[in-house]
Amino acid sequence: MADRQNGAGWRFGPVSGPEMAQWCALLRDDNAIHLRREAAEAAGFGPRRVNPGPANLAYVISAAMAAHPQAEFAEIAAFFAGNVFEGDRLAVALAPGPGGTLYAEGRAAPVLRVQFTFKEHD
Amino acid sequence: MAGQRPIPGRRYDLTAALDDRVRALCAAPPRQGDLAHPIHAYLGGLAAMPSPIGDFSRDLGLAFDAGPVLGECRLSFPGRLRVGQAYDATVEVLDLTRKPSRRFGRADHLALAITLSDQAGPASLLQFKMITPAVDDG
Repeated sequence: MADRQNGAGWRFGPVSGPEMAQWCALLRDDNAIHLRREAAEAAGFGPRRVNPGPANLAYVISAAMAAHPQAEFAEIAAFFAGNVFEGDRLAVALAPGPGGTLYAEGRAAPVLRVQFTFKEHD
Repeated sequence: MAGQRPIPGRRYDLTAALDDRVRALCAAPPRQGDLAHPIHAYLGGLAAMPSPIGDFSRDLGLAFDAGPVLGECRLSFPGRLRVGQAYDATVEVLDLTRKPSRRFGRADHLALAITLSDQAGPASLLQFKMITPAVDDG
């Protein structure tokens, strides 16, 4: 999972099946749509495995951490509007709100919107 | 089950090695001090449930094997998640409601809250809604 920042924002991917399996192990999540293509297909998601939602959220948080290295999170609110599939390349657009939006390359609609609140320090 | 007392979960051992592994998976910047990546509020919450989320859902009568998805979530940090610290989890079923669904026809919406606490008190609170296709013989 390489990342880079350019004028378009933070970029991640391509998302891989083995990485999905690692996320599932960390989450103790055996949801087969993340692990087997035939399960994703049977559930109506198409022929590619579906990335776990918390992984998608982690990319956006990581981009915000890099952009605000001294900030400490008080709250993170996430709204999952779509799915990320294996092979997808992703882009995070950060907003001054502060917030972030995750896009999958080739699709106009965002897959995830996130709002952040940072702790205030003296 | 909704509205019942919080259910004790397991202990989440948040090691530096685990945090390094998670940061590598999501291309996070290097750790500053002992502050862990915030996604551990989610990872630790699910990892420290009394049973895996699949079994927990199946025990509630949900068709977990039909492929649930996340609807929304909120991570709050009344304290700090630090590496080198273990956290105890408590799980609360906030709501379980069957609703019409554009994708699934009908779906069960499960809302859970999972708190990770150390000796000082709650360090993180995860609240999320999981949407599971309703599969029944009706």
